[in-house]
Amino acid sequence: MAIIEMMNISKEFKDGLSSRKILALRNIDFKIEKGEVFGFLGPNGAGKSTTIKILLNLVYPTSGKACIMGKDVFDRSARAVVGYLPENPFYYDYLTAEEILSFGAIASGMDKTDLPGRIKTLLSRLNLSTASKRPLRGYSKGMLQRVGLALALVHDPQVVILDEPMSGLDPIGRKMVCDLILDLKAQGKTVFFSSHILTDIERLCDRVGIIVNGTLQLVDDLKHLLGKGTTLEEVFLREVGRQGGDER
Amino acid sequence: MTTLWPVAMITFKEGIRNKSVIGIFLFSLFLLCTNFFMAGMALIDIGKIAVDIALSTVSLAGLLLVLFVGINLMSKDLDKRTIYMVLSRPISRSQYIVGRFMGMVLIIVFALLIVSILAVLSIILIKAGHGNENIRFSWSVVILALFFIMLSNILLSALSFLFSSFVSTSFITLLLTVISYIIGQSMQDIRSLIATSQTSGIEISQVSTKIVQVAFYLFPNLSLFDIKLQAAHGNPVPSSYLFWTTFYGVVYICLVITASALLFRKKEFP
Repeated sequence: MAIIEMMNISKEFKDGLSSRKILALRNIDFKIEKGEVFGFLGPNGAGKSTTIKILLNLVYPTSGKACIMGKDVFDRSARAVVGYLPENPFYYDYLTAEEILSFGAIASGMDKTDLPGRIKTLLSRLNLSTASKRPLRGYSKGMLQRVGLALALVHDPQVVILDEPMSGLDPIGRKMVCDLILDLKAQGKTVFFSSHILTDIERLCDRVGIIVNGTLQLVDDLKHLLGKGTTLEEVFLREVGRQGGDER
Repeated sequence: MTTLWPVAMITFKEGIRNKSVIGIFLFSLFLLCTNFFMAGMALIDIGKIAVDIALSTVSLAGLLLVLFVGINLMSKDLDKRTIYMVLSRPISRSQYIVGRFMGMVLIIVFALLIVSILAVLSIILIKAGHGNENIRFSWSVVILALFFIMLSNILLSALSFLFSSFVSTSFITLLLTVISYIIGQSMQDIRSLIATSQTSGIEISQVSTKIVQVAFYLFPNLSLFDIKLQAAHGNPVPSSYLFWTTFYGVVYICLVITASALLFRKKEFP
């Protein structure tokens, strides 16, 4: 059974108050198997975040169906096994990192007895131990990104969905995230992440998908792609060029 | 309940630590201090003035809480997309609305309890300072008035949740909530005015009468919850009034929150 399944998903958005519609996704269809690290590439506005938001039921598809571990994403229980990091995350200003993580774990159905140890380990892993009792409004962008990562992982999810996880991180933070993703892979977790940084995709992913102007141009094994003597950058630029750039 | 409670708790913690709440407390404290000054200036009806100012302070604190803390809590979630953090968990949109509302109820009850205790203290001190001859009011009606202030603010907050569920900006939510408050407070008087005018032969257009009728059934009758005058004058409130007004408030809140949850189910967060 595929862990993530997107079945012929299309999504149209209304263009403001006018009756004009914008096609954000066109017949997106792919599967991600257990234990895979899948990199989702695409220029700005290509539809990466919309695809992710459909998986989390934050946006409803116009047509098609999305499933996580066989459950339709409309079913809220499908999200119990998912950890999600949004792009540029914002959290409640007056809560502390410990409180936010505690909420995330309890809301996902985690046993309260395991909670303090799990939170402590995660915060220490992400270098946030000293700031754990401070309100989040005093955190830097990089620290908030790391809190977001901790929140995505606090309930030990089977599926981890990360939208631009390296955004706002310094080189040390980026290495930390890369190591975390490799750790998740070693634990047999399924990771689906979008990124602009091709070197990170090359380093971490088993398979990649390239989306341009709402159309999934390519889904392939990374080894297979790079085995042809081309670089990922060349493949990416070729696929973007085929669709005519990033303006929509 | 297992999914609602965590949402309610983060709402409560986030709301009660908001700097606006401290501002509202300080403002209430200032108003209650003026209570001593005003009572000191009065020669008669000291009790009436003390109770009136104390209850009005609690009422104003509740209104400010709903307008500046409650609406901000919801709009921030939608504007800054902090809602992703909640909805990416196994929590439905309806549960989000109910959980968030439960948190807001906790904020209102907690904050207004503190202001109410201060208000009651101010009345006790004024009473102690002026003796009993000038002061005639019933503590039970004062407590009942405080309960109704709390209930009417919870109802107003429920309305702000309803507006947030289909309006995209916090300013419009604020505007609609203020309009509902004004209509809710004055509808009973306008309706009575129309009825009196008609019986005294003054002609009022059919359209105006219909509009008032529709507004009367659409907006909550907030004046029902305002028994400050009875409390200040020490007039008794029948138990049937307590029962039916509470019943009206609770049913209205449940209906409004159900409608908010239904509307919010259709909302997308791109």
